[in-house]
Amino acid sequence: MNRNNFFIHLALALVLVLVAAFAGQLSRWRKQWRSHMGPIPATEKKRATTSEEIALTETRSFGRPEILVKFKSGVSQETIERLTAQRHDRVEDRIENVDGLDAIDDLDNADAATVVSEYQQLPEVEYAEPNFEIELDAAEPLVPVLPHDPQFTDQWALSNSGQRGGKQGADISATLAWATTTGSDKVVVAVLDSGVDYTHEDLVENMWVRPASMAPYHDNELGTIDDENGFNAIDTASDPMDENGHGTHCAGIIGAEGENDIGIAGVNWKVKIMPLKFMNAGGFGTTKDAIEAINYVIDRKKAGVNVRIISASWGSTQRSRALEDAIRKAYENDILFVAAAGNSTVNNDRNPHFPSSYNVPNVVSVAALDRNDQLAKFSNWGAKSVAIAAPGVDILSTWLGNAYEEKSGTSMATPVVSGVAALILAEHPRMSVDELKKKLLASTDPIVALKGKTVTGGRINAAKAVE
Amino acid sequence: MAIDKNSAVENARNDLARRLNVNAADIKEKSVEDDDFPDMALGAAEDGEMSGQMITGGWRIKLEAQGKTYEYRADKNQVRAFNFKGKNYRI
Repeated sequence: MNRNNFFIHLALALVLVLVAAFAGQLSRWRKQWRSHMGPIPATEKKRATTSEEIALTETRSFGRPEILVKFKSGVSQETIERLTAQRHDRVEDRIENVDGLDAIDDLDNADAATVVSEYQQLPEVEYAEPNFEIELDAAEPLVPVLPHDPQFTDQWALSNSGQRGGKQGADISATLAWATTTGSDKVVVAVLDSGVDYTHEDLVENMWVRPASMAPYHDNELGTIDDENGFNAIDTASDPMDENGHGTHCAGIIGAEGENDIGIAGVNWKVKIMPLKFMNAGGFGTTKDAIEAINYVIDRKKAGVNVRIISASWGSTQRSRALEDAIRKAYENDILFVAAAGNSTVNNDRNPHFPSSYNVPNVVSVAALDRNDQLAKFSNWGAKSVAIAAPGVDILSTWLGNAYEEKSGTSMATPVVSGVAALILAEHPRMSVDELKKKLLASTDPIVALKGKTVTGGRINAAKAVE
Repeated sequence: MAIDKNSAVENARNDLARRLNVNAADIKEKSVEDDDFPDMALGAAEDGEMSGQMITGGWRIKLEAQGKTYEYRADKNQVRAFNFKGKNYRI
């Protein structure tokens, strides 16, 4: 390149840079003029004024085409591009599988309603519509459902109004859950405990009774057992009538009949409680009898009873491989096993408590909370081994002889979680045990006092569970 | 039949006498206090025993024999030797 050519090329380059800069400034002036001067004449766009238009404007986001236009059959792509260019718009995308459908972007960033209106007036257009931002439907706010059971106001675990010095809202949101479901008599919960007073007036309607069509239970070793009202592993010739009260208390938490104008309401107003007795009048029993009772549940499940949950408000620090195997067998039969974390104020990660600490997929270990959302002073915990927490202090429930008593323990927190699991199954009857556990653990309210103390760090929330 | 505090102490004393092979009259009652226990086995479960995880009210009984203190736990349903030579016993 000679010296003259070099200067000519340099001059040309400078001219091109100046032209480009001037064009850019022109574009910026045009946009500023539009934004400051408002509506522009003739074919220009107007701002949204009606509520509908404003709503469309509000849903619009930059970086995505604002309208979808279906051009009539036979309109060429050339014509489409000419029409869009005339309006300072551009075809952002062609929807290949729908003839004539294009996503169009307005380069002036006008509101979608206006652009739609413009295109709808064109004879070449079949229809035009905004590119709506698809959002989840805003859920209707749930209206709390309050039962008329006379002692419901003392059931802070279900609805904590701050009664007796409690913290308002420190509850499982049962009244909101009941707006979705109050339970189902198709769901059977096995209460593996000291039996249940199945004649209690607040429980009797929700007790499981062996269907007439189902033969009495038969075990090769135990023989034939009349299990009309459940199973008694201590004395198979007797029924599972509770002689202690503990099992009756747990049963009432899960499913005292709701809205019957008597006593209390359970987490489920309707459910079926299957009593299993392996603890005696003192409230203790043997590992072998617990295993026999679990075996009974599995057999009844196989025979067609929809028993999906075993509630186990008991335990010890002694590990039993046989008990663990029985619980694993329950898992293989799609049965959840909800267990008390224990009341020794220890970390179960270091000092395990069984059966709650068994590493079996269906086990849900439960810690207890007081009415102020504090971990109960007696409750065990475990960032790795205790799944979830529920109210377990001063819990009012059914007791022997049509009575009601307040009791405390992870024993009381456990049936709260079992009850919520039953509510979930009432709403989602086909849910697998894995899905059920996952749903439970995902349905908590985070509690400061539980941070680093349980797997979820939260209190079970029944309303979230049945969403 | 429900056990009361006095009969619980008496049962405990007799049990300790048998275990230590001493005369019950030589066992001194050190203290008897109302207390809450962590479970229905009164925090003194035997091997292979499971118990309801409900806070249970009862009595903590401390007896003294041969210069040593021994603990028993009781409620209306039961009397238990706690950590006697490393083990628990329901009596």
